[in-house]
Amino acid sequence: MSSAEGPALNIDRLLDSRWFLRALAFAAFALVWQVYATAAGGFFVPTFTETAAAIGRQLASPEVWQAFATSNIAMVLGFGLAVVIGIPLGFLMGRFRLAERAINPYLNILLVTPLAGIIPLLMMSLGIGLASRVIVVWSFAIVMVVVNTRAGVRQVDRSLIDMVRLFGAGELGVWRRVILPGSLPAVLAGVRVALGRAVTGMVIVELVMVSVGIGGLILRYQAFFRFAELYGMVVLIILEALILLAIVDWVQRKATPWASMTSIRD
Amino acid sequence: MIEIKGLNKYFPGRGRSEPVQALRDVDLTIRDNEFLTILGPSGCGKTTLLRNIAGLVPWDTGEILVDSQPVRGPSPERAMVFQNFALLPWSTVLANVAIGLEIRGEPRGPREAKARELIERVGLSGFEDRLPGELSGGMQQRVGLARALAVDPSVLLMDEPFGALDEQTRRLLQEELLRIWEQTPKTVVFITHSMEEAVLLGDRIVLMSARPGQVDDIIEVPLARPRSQHINELGESPEFASITTHLWTRLRSMQVLNT
Ligand SMILES: Nc1ncnc2c1ncn2[C@@H]1O[C@H](COP(=O)(O)OP(=O)(O)OP(=O)(O)O)[C@@H](O)[C@H]1O
Ligand SMILES: [Mg+2]
Repeated sequence: MSSAEGPALNIDRLLDSRWFLRALAFAAFALVWQVYATAAGGFFVPTFTETAAAIGRQLASPEVWQAFATSNIAMVLGFGLAVVIGIPLGFLMGRFRLAERAINPYLNILLVTPLAGIIPLLMMSLGIGLASRVIVVWSFAIVMVVVNTRAGVRQVDRSLIDMVRLFGAGELGVWRRVILPGSLPAVLAGVRVALGRAVTGMVIVELVMVSVGIGGLILRYQAFFRFAELYGMVVLIILEALILLAIVDWVQRKATPWASMTSIRD
Repeated sequence: MIEIKGLNKYFPGRGRSEPVQALRDVDLTIRDNEFLTILGPSGCGKTTLLRNIAGLVPWDTGEILVDSQPVRGPSPERAMVFQNFALLPWSTVLANVAIGLEIRGEPRGPREAKARELIERVGLSGFEDRLPGELSGGMQQRVGLARALAVDPSVLLMDEPFGALDEQTRRLLQEELLRIWEQTPKTVVFITHSMEEAVLLGDRIVLMSARPGQVDDIIEVPLARPRSQHINELGESPEFASITTHLWTRLRSMQVLNT
């Protein structure tokens, strides 16, 4: 508004608006999908418009909402436990060598184990109830929380710790004034990645073993050749994940406004 | 007065390798309200010595006395200014300057009044609510200086405080530091890599030799005080030239031995 260019279409400003760029990318994506599905998709690949119509029906269906609720209970519990347990573990491992030595082997096991492969084992020992689903989500998510938190603690500037100690702060003061705020950006980055893994874990466990919730619905659509609904379900899962990520991003921006100040990207 | 007697400091070697001796038999007496500069090759233990005086890290043998009291840990009497500024990036300039007082339990009112006074003194009025990331390097180090001065320390420990700044900013901050020190004298221990800076600021220059670090020489600087008004002319004077030549000869012989 401050420039004297008047109402003429300002391409620079339009290109600056991220919503415009997103809409453009989405339109291109939808077009490619539609053309491909119409020309070469055949029976198994619904077109973009068919999928969109299916999503409309699904959003009005109580069955779909019920499936999302069932799945997300396991996701919220597993992810919540991963955050609540993972953050303190990461802090301890980052600050104390002893904790690092004691916990690291288990962390490495979780890190390298192909989790989808051990789901059947879990089911055999814990049954197919909510508990096993929660534990699978938890194992998918916790590694990311611990690893990022630990990295965040380790990269805290040593001279900041010296500085508060010189002014008389004890270990508690060092944590409160330097380590906790200093590692917050990394902790939130870990939570963000963990959230993506938790959603993945939530769907995988239902696809592989316990066919309830979203995974159960997907298997059913597949069995009955309802491919538009199947695609619609995938889109809905992606939408949920994007909304959750946007919430974490928002928290990140609000809680650590200084973090973007040292970014090297402009 | 700070008395350092027979100080030896080792760092454990990596794995099975021998411990590294960082300081060997350092004897040094720092007078009250003296401006002492320390000069020496990289890795000779200057930072280690300063952190020992601060009480941040233990040493192996010897002792450090401040006003006849042995140093056992950090004390509010000794404040530090860091090469990388060490400002809390999430706190405003005001909160950064006030943090020492806050840790000491000073109530908000008096502590912010004191912080504002020091912010004004280092020429940063109007920037109280900014975050460090919004300031230039020179301004950030002014905050670091104000923060150290806010607790009224009797000893100011400075580890290459202007090393990360450009030439002009460095000169401005040297003048400002001298001006503040002339108005409110205190003991300053100032580490630098610059011979010029060591001479222009110091009453005496401690020359350290490398690995293990020891006191090689102590040189009195005959330049008159107060100096803050005419640092530039002092830099042209014959006394200045003769001391820097002397320093360079000594430093060069150390570097030759080292390589
Ligand atoms: N935490 C540490 N662990 C092991 N060795 C260390 C440690 N800190 C310093 N040293 C070693 O002690 C010696 C002195 O280090 P110090 O940092 O005091 O040197 P300096 O004179 O400040 O160097 P510079 O001028 O580069 O800042 C160096 O050889 C260094 O490698
Ligand atoms: Mg150093």
